[in-house]
Amino acid sequence: MGAVSYLAYDGDGPRAGGDVKELVELPDFSIEQRDGQALSIVTGSERAKTVTKAIELLGGIERFVKAGETIAIKPNVAFASPAMLGATTSPELVAQVVQLCYEAGAKRVVVFDNPINDPASCFTISGVGKAAREAGARLVLPRENLFKYTTLAGGKLITDWPVLFEPVAAADKLIGISPVKDHHRSGASMAMKNWYGLLGGRRNIFHQDINTIIAELAMLVKPTLVILDGTEVMMSNGPTGGSLSDLKRANTMIASCDMVAADSYGCSLLGMKVSDLAYLKKAENAGAGTTDYQSLEPKVTKVS
Amino acid sequence: MNLTPGRSKRLESAISILLLVVLVLVGIGVFVRQFYGDIGRFGIEAAALQGLAGEATTGSDERTVLAGAVPSGFEEYSELKVYEADNLYEKINGKAPLYTDSGFEKLFCVRFANEADQALKMEIYLYDMGAAKNAFSVYSTQKRPDGEFPAQWNGLLYKTANGVYLVHGKYYIEVVGFAKSQDLVGAMAAVAESLKAGLQVGDDLWDSEPILFGKQGLVAGSSKLYLASVFSFEGLTDTFTARYKADGETVTVFLSERADPQEARKMAESYRNFLIENGAKEKTAAEKALAQTVLDFYGGTEIVFAKGRFVAGVHDAENHQAAEKLALRILADLNQRTKGAEQ
Repeated sequence: MGAVSYLAYDGDGPRAGGDVKELVELPDFSIEQRDGQALSIVTGSERAKTVTKAIELLGGIERFVKAGETIAIKPNVAFASPAMLGATTSPELVAQVVQLCYEAGAKRVVVFDNPINDPASCFTISGVGKAAREAGARLVLPRENLFKYTTLAGGKLITDWPVLFEPVAAADKLIGISPVKDHHRSGASMAMKNWYGLLGGRRNIFHQDINTIIAELAMLVKPTLVILDGTEVMMSNGPTGGSLSDLKRANTMIASCDMVAADSYGCSLLGMKVSDLAYLKKAENAGAGTTDYQSLEPKVTKVS
Repeated sequence: MNLTPGRSKRLESAISILLLVVLVLVGIGVFVRQFYGDIGRFGIEAAALQGLAGEATTGSDERTVLAGAVPSGFEEYSELKVYEADNLYEKINGKAPLYTDSGFEKLFCVRFANEADQALKMEIYLYDMGAAKNAFSVYSTQKRPDGEFPAQWNGLLYKTANGVYLVHGKYYIEVVGFAKSQDLVGAMAAVAESLKAGLQVGDDLWDSEPILFGKQGLVAGSSKLYLASVFSFEGLTDTFTARYKADGETVTVFLSERADPQEARKMAESYRNFLIENGAKEKTAAEKALAQTVLDFYGGTEIVFAKGRFVAGVHDAENHQAAEKLALRILADLNQRTKGAEQ
């Protein structure tokens, strides 16, 4: 014991000025753009089929996932709410994307989020935890040592702020999967807002400037692919909903390498225009993508 | 057992070494496990329930009433959790401002599950909104258009395929089902009734929908109260809206009572300017009494005026004629209301 104490002894004592934060930078997971393969919109009622087709239209899962890679998947599991209420990403959709990644030769698929409610409850009640595990993914719940501080260059809000870094840092590719939802504060919660789940700390303070934080998240996170699920859209009382009456069947699946474009199309499922969501223009102006999704020549099809 | 001093010393050393080895192994185990992020492997079902453990020290009345509201055949599935204004976002995130801007004091949350079929779960959200007016505001602004109002239910209460929603005094209550089941809805209705019977609310009651401008043409259940802002205009607080039918069209009307006629005129002017700043154009009124009150807002008709202490009008009407008809009716109603005050 004496030896251990001797080895652990810090002769310099505590440093002045408090803790020095080690700042990290999120890796850039984006891939090379291809003309005409940046945005796909597939209609159909079965998520497994529509998402498979949507990815196929962008060049196939092999474009996004290479053999031996580790893939991090970030669904929206913000609430301890059952899947049928549409407040969280569909478990069936998560399972299908995990399976596609493994089919493309992924070595490991990690599913993670930093939910609003108790994380274990969220993953359990939403069904995402079970679906991800059964599909062979590793589930990572947020713990303090998985967070690191980051600062967004040119950002106003994300300054020395903790983000759920470790699951992302360990990955080769990053995929976001989110539902299309009404949001009381921001108007809509879709692919860009999904990255709010990377933030740690008292992130609710960002609700005071919700459009800026969503735009900054779009600048901070450069995913490989985003999947926006408009199969059932939460039209009102978002982001929590609470009644089946809040949902409307739109049977639409969107996949994109440009999340600003994905959200710009996605808002139409909520009966909104791009101009109704201030964060879209902000993100576009910051260079995170385009609101003119038609310029990407989206691939559109239907599956039965 | 007698041990020689030499043997005793060796035994103590052996025990010490053994204990050190155990401690080192425990340390290594903890060290290795902390880098293994897959918490799901360690039984997340149990963690989910533990995570719901209550931590509140207040709200003993609500606790008692909730404990007594467990319907027959059901059991508590989670412990009660209480949220206050500074941590409400932990439960409802982006929807928290809707409540905190409307007088929110506390939220009590608990889940019940059917003993025979654990898939039949419900979650009870008991919001203490401080006053019945506040409770009505959050109830009305979230009301589901397809909600049913069963004849046997009294008061401000409706149900959907998986939920029951009601106002009781200062409380706004949501009972949300985790499955679509008639049995579950029946149990949820029983919970609602039990809460209504158990929660003491005194005289501060809103038992029925407010009637803004008479019952004629009023779309049942369409009345709403916006406490913080309405139609994206932050200045216009404490505003009632309702939908009325006129000439086969449905039109939204609004009414806000201000402190005095001067403030009402200022508020009407501010709101009108807000609309113009956002693209509204002045429009000629067909009715003389509505001169200089009508605006065209991207094809919709807006009518804004002040009468006595009231600011009132029509919002985003598709049919101009129906909008003016309703506006005249409102004006006549307000003339009656303000008659005495102006004499």
